[in-house]
Amino acid sequence: MSKATSATAKGEPILSLRGVCKNFGAVSALTDIDLDVYAGEVVALVGDNGAGKSTLVKALAGVHQPTSGEIFFEGRPVSLSSPSRALELGIATVFQDLALCENLDVVENIFLGQEIRPLHLDEVEMEVRAWKLLNELSARIPSVRDVVASLSGGQRQTVAIARSLLLDPKVIMLDEPTAALGVAQTAEVLNLVERVRERGLGVILISHNMEDVRAVADRIAVLRLGRNNGIFTPDASNEELVGAITGAVDNAVTRRAGKRSPVDAAAKEHTR
Amino acid sequence: MSENETAEMTTLLDRSDARLRDDSGISGTLRGFFDRVRSGDLGSLPVIVGLIVIWTVFTTLNPLFLSSNNLVNLLFDCSTIGIIALGIVCVLMLGEIDLSVGSMSGVGSALIGVLWVNQGVPLPIAIACALAAGATMGAVYALLRTRLGMPSFVSTLAGLLGLLGLQLYLLGNTGSINLPYGSAMVRFGQLMIMPDWLSHLVAALAGLVMLVMGLRRIQQRRAAKLSSGGVAGLLLRVAVITIGLQGAVYYLNLGRGVPWMFALFVTLVLIMNYAFLRTQWGRSMRAVGGNAEAARRAGIGVRKIYFSAFILCSTLASLGGVLSAARLASASQQAGTGDVNLNAIAAAVIGGTSLFGGRGSALSALLGIIVIQSIANGLTLLSLSSSLRYMITGAVLAIAVIVDSLARQSRQSHGRA
Repeated sequence: MSKATSATAKGEPILSLRGVCKNFGAVSALTDIDLDVYAGEVVALVGDNGAGKSTLVKALAGVHQPTSGEIFFEGRPVSLSSPSRALELGIATVFQDLALCENLDVVENIFLGQEIRPLHLDEVEMEVRAWKLLNELSARIPSVRDVVASLSGGQRQTVAIARSLLLDPKVIMLDEPTAALGVAQTAEVLNLVERVRERGLGVILISHNMEDVRAVADRIAVLRLGRNNGIFTPDASNEELVGAITGAVDNAVTRRAGKRSPVDAAAKEHTR
Repeated sequence: MSENETAEMTTLLDRSDARLRDDSGISGTLRGFFDRVRSGDLGSLPVIVGLIVIWTVFTTLNPLFLSSNNLVNLLFDCSTIGIIALGIVCVLMLGEIDLSVGSMSGVGSALIGVLWVNQGVPLPIAIACALAAGATMGAVYALLRTRLGMPSFVSTLAGLLGLLGLQLYLLGNTGSINLPYGSAMVRFGQLMIMPDWLSHLVAALAGLVMLVMGLRRIQQRRAAKLSSGGVAGLLLRVAVITIGLQGAVYYLNLGRGVPWMFALFVTLVLIMNYAFLRTQWGRSMRAVGGNAEAARRAGIGVRKIYFSAFILCSTLASLGGVLSAARLASASQQAGTGDVNLNAIAAAVIGGTSLFGGRGSALSALLGIIVIQSIANGLTLLSLSSSLRYMITGAVLAIAVIVDSLARQSRQSHGRA
C-alpha cells in the first residue's frame, strides 16, 4: 500500500473523514472510513458494487447522516445535516441518478434552489449564465429552454455537472459521471474534471472504469465491503487495484488476466 | 429582414446550434404553436375549444344563455368556487389533492354567520377568523403528509367528514343563519358592479401592461444576445387580448356590468399566476411536484413547500366559503356540500392543471371554472333536473381527465413529459 501525496496537493486537506460509520438497521454500509481530499487533486473512489461508494457520497452530500464518526471541512468539524448545509459549505454533488426535475427546462434545473432574485426571477441573467456554464463545458445542448425530459443521457449529465459548478464549490463529487456517456463525451467530462482541478477544487470521482480513473486521478482510494482497503497512485498495477477491490489476489478477474500471455501484459504495463 | 439583423441572428447565444429551427416572426410563432399541440403540450387549447362548443350548444338551445345579464350572473357564481379551485391548483401542482375544500368552505361560511351575525364580532375580524381556521386545517394536512407520510387523499377525506361535522356543530339547531341584506358584505356578493369607465380602463390597462412588459423583455433579451421572438408576435398577442377584453367588458356593460367579486377573483388569479411563474416559490412548487427527491437534493425545503401549498389551499377554500355566504346571504348547512368539492377540483383539471403533479397554472382555475359554471348555468336555464345535471358534469370531468392523460402520454412519447 502506498500512501501517496499528490504533487498539486498542499497544506491541510479541505475535506477529511475520520472513522465514519453508517448503519442501515443491521447492515453496516460504512465502517471506520478515513478519507482526505486536498485542494487541486482528484481522488478516485473505487470499489465493487455494494462497497459503500454511493452511501459515502450521500453522507458527504448531506442526504444520509453518518451513524458515527467525524467529518472535517477546512479543518473544522462539521455536521452535514441536510443537502442545503452541504451546499452552503461548498460540497457539490452530481448524483448517479442525476436528480434532475424532468418537467423543468435546463435553465430551471441548473438554477433550482439558487434562483437569481427569488421574488422576481431574472430569467435573462439566468439564461445567459446557463449558456456560459454550458459553453465552458463545451456542452452540446440545442436549447436551454427544452425540458430535461427531452435530453439524452449525456446531455443530462452535462446539465447536472453544470448545476454543481454554479455555486463555486470547494469540493465536487461525481458519482459515475461517465457511465452513460459516449466516447467523445467521456473525454469531455474527463477534460472537465481536469479543468475543475486546475481551478483548485477538490474532486471526488467515483467510477467503475479503471481507464478513466487512471487518466485523471491523483490518488485512488479503494473501498471494500464498507471499509477502507488501501490508497493507491495511478501507476499502481491493475492486479494490485483489482486485488484491493475484490479483496483477494486469487479471484476470477486475476485468473482471467493470468491466462493472457505474460509478455502481452508486460508490454501493456510498459506503455502506461 | 435586414442584413444587420441576419448577422445578429448568427451570433445569438441560444440559436448557435445548427440543429435548431429558427422560429422567429409570426409564421415561426404559429409553427411552434402547432408543433407543441401535436406533441401533446396542449396548454389552454382544449378548454377554449370546449368553451366554444358548450356556449354554442347552450345558445342554440336557449338564446337567453348568452344574454349579458346571464353572463354577469355566471361571473358572480364563478368567483366563489373559482377561488376554491385556485387553491386546488396549488395542491395538484405537488401531485397532492384536497378533497375537503367543500367542507372547509362550509366551515368558513358558518364561522361568518356565527361570529358576525350571532356574536356581533366586527366583520373583518370574523373574516380573519375564518381564514385562520382554513390556514390551521391546511397546516394539519401538511403535518400529516410530511411527518407521518399520510397520503393527502386519505387525510383530506377524513377532514371532509370532520369539517362537515364542525360546520353542523357551529350552526347548531337552527341550521341556517341569514346575513343582513343591505350590509356591505351581501351587497358585495350580490350587487356591487364596477363602473363602466373603470372596467374599460382596467381592460385597456391589461393590454398595456402586457405590451410594456413584453417590450422590456425583448429589449433585455436582445441586450443579452438571446433570441427574443420579435415584436410582431407580441403586438399580435396584445391586439387579440385587448380587443377580446374590451369586447367582453362592453358586452357585460350592456347588462349589469363586471362584478367586483369577479374582479377580486381575477386579481387573486393574477397574483397566483405571478407567484407560480416569476418567483422562486413557484419554481420550487413545480420542482417538488415533478421530482421531490431532486428538489430536496437541490436544497429546497420540501416540507415548507408542502405546508405552503396545503395552507394556501385551505385558506382559499375558506375565503371561497365566506364569499359564497355573501352570495347567498346566508350561512346554511347546505353551504359547501353537494358538488362544490368536485366542481372546484374539476375546474382546476379542466383548465389544464395535471392530476399527476408538476404542471399547472393559476389561469387554469379561471378558465376551468368558467367551463364548469357555464354547464351548470346552461343546464339550469334548460330547467333540467339535477339528476341530469350531475351526470353531464360528471361526463365533462371524465373527458377532461382523459384529455389530460392522453396529452401526458403524447408528451412522454415526444420527450416533453
